[in-house]
Amino acid sequence: MATYEERVALVTGSGKGVGAGIVKVLCSEGWRCCIHCNSNRTLAEKTVAQIREAGGEAILLQADVSDPAQAKALVEQTVQQWGRLDLLVNNAAMQYNLFIDEYDVERLRKLWNINIGGYWRMIREALPYLRKSPQPRIVNVASVHAKRPTCFDAGYAMTKGGIRMFTRELALELAGDGIPVNAIDLGGTRIEFKTGNPAFHSYRPAETRNPALDGKVRLVMPEEVGHLVSYLASEAASAMTGSCIRLDGGQMLN
Amino acid sequence: MERKGVLMTDLRTREAKEAFAYLGGLGYEMLSVPDGVCLWNETELEAWGKSLEKNLYAVIHPAPPLFLRPLSEQTEEDFGQAANEGILSAFCVTKVFGGMFRERREGVLIYLNSIHAEKPVGRGSLFSMGCGAVQMLAREVNQDYGTHGVRSFFVQRGISQYDPDGKSDLSNLYFGVEKRYPERKMPQADALNSLLAFLLTPGAAPLSGSDLRADGGMTMYYGERITEEQVQEIRRRQLLENRKEVTILGDV
Repeated sequence: MATYEERVALVTGSGKGVGAGIVKVLCSEGWRCCIHCNSNRTLAEKTVAQIREAGGEAILLQADVSDPAQAKALVEQTVQQWGRLDLLVNNAAMQYNLFIDEYDVERLRKLWNINIGGYWRMIREALPYLRKSPQPRIVNVASVHAKRPTCFDAGYAMTKGGIRMFTRELALELAGDGIPVNAIDLGGTRIEFKTGNPAFHSYRPAETRNPALDGKVRLVMPEEVGHLVSYLASEAASAMTGSCIRLDGGQMLN
Repeated sequence: MERKGVLMTDLRTREAKEAFAYLGGLGYEMLSVPDGVCLWNETELEAWGKSLEKNLYAVIHPAPPLFLRPLSEQTEEDFGQAANEGILSAFCVTKVFGGMFRERREGVLIYLNSIHAEKPVGRGSLFSMGCGAVQMLAREVNQDYGTHGVRSFFVQRGISQYDPDGKSDLSNLYFGVEKRYPERKMPQADALNSLLAFLLTPGAAPLSGSDLRADGGMTMYYGERITEEQVQEIRRRQLLENRKEVTILGDV
């Protein structure tokens, strides 16, 4: 069995926010991580520097996962660097924070192409390499919006609902390859920078607002997502597949 | 008295066709989307939709036909088509007609979908991701348009005799179907149709925003024990006969 020191993870959208929390935890445990970013290279370089300063091993690759050629190159360059791939964490996503009436079909198409198309492409490209790993894992970062509607962003909720079922299908499809596939239904997380409309919550109807986001329930920290990913990638979690694990600090109990 | 109009957005599946005929028999004015109007072209759909505005009361949006293909054989084209048919069409229909109902503060949106919003078959990743997405759309619609008098429902229909069978080698869901129902028989089409008819009535208002699983209890039922030999025999026969209907285990 490969040791953590030998194992390689590719985490999309890990230059900042939730993804950065995941790679920091993994690298602190000895994983070699490919940090992926698309739009914000400056923050991603900062994350890489922090990891290296702490003694971790990481590379930074920039790609648009909605582009098939770039998604393919992202996987291939990771494998070229370390010769293997053991863990794929799909995390790169965006949000608009629009009501249904404010959306247009081209925005939804773009969202779909990144938030779930990116996951779909990355898994397809990573699969040949994951099949060679002694302990392969796929983790899809989804959201509490995969189950609970909140008027937060209808298009975003659709993509997360799609990821929930995509995860279940793949858990069954890849069981024969010994690849567990799980999702994390992530709640509100404290991050330094987010896509979408930062003022959105201020004009949401009061009855649809989640008190958790008003500070009444604690937000999740990015590193806490990393610890859950680390567990899912461990031998101890090998029996877990097709699960959508809610990590939200109890926010959805409101 | 003017008849209430009910639009069935996609008539490719047998369930949709049968529901169309059934509801027409109840006195609804049944409407369908003409050739040349694309469900995922919002502008086109909106332009045509305006002609219905006067008496349109409800929209039923069926899921596209079941699509099963292994991940490694799926192409970008497949992904794009699944997005158009499974996702963007549901969204455009919602926005155009739900928006119309929202202004009027009355109307019903029914997403006639599938148990694959919950149940995987191992070869249906593109199809099921669409079902999961539309399930969330229906819930969001209830949050958003629901506050403006629009009722919305997500119906997960079970397996019917018209579904393709034997195409997923990773699930026995479509094998021995009859014995997968607690009552040992497949629900008849009228059972689904009468549910749709009920959802069109004001009496169904308290159910707005619900997921309604109309599967005869099969999803939550483990079914009768089927031996591996029986499964193999069913598969063998299906391959030989290239049958389109679901095989009944009792035939074996």
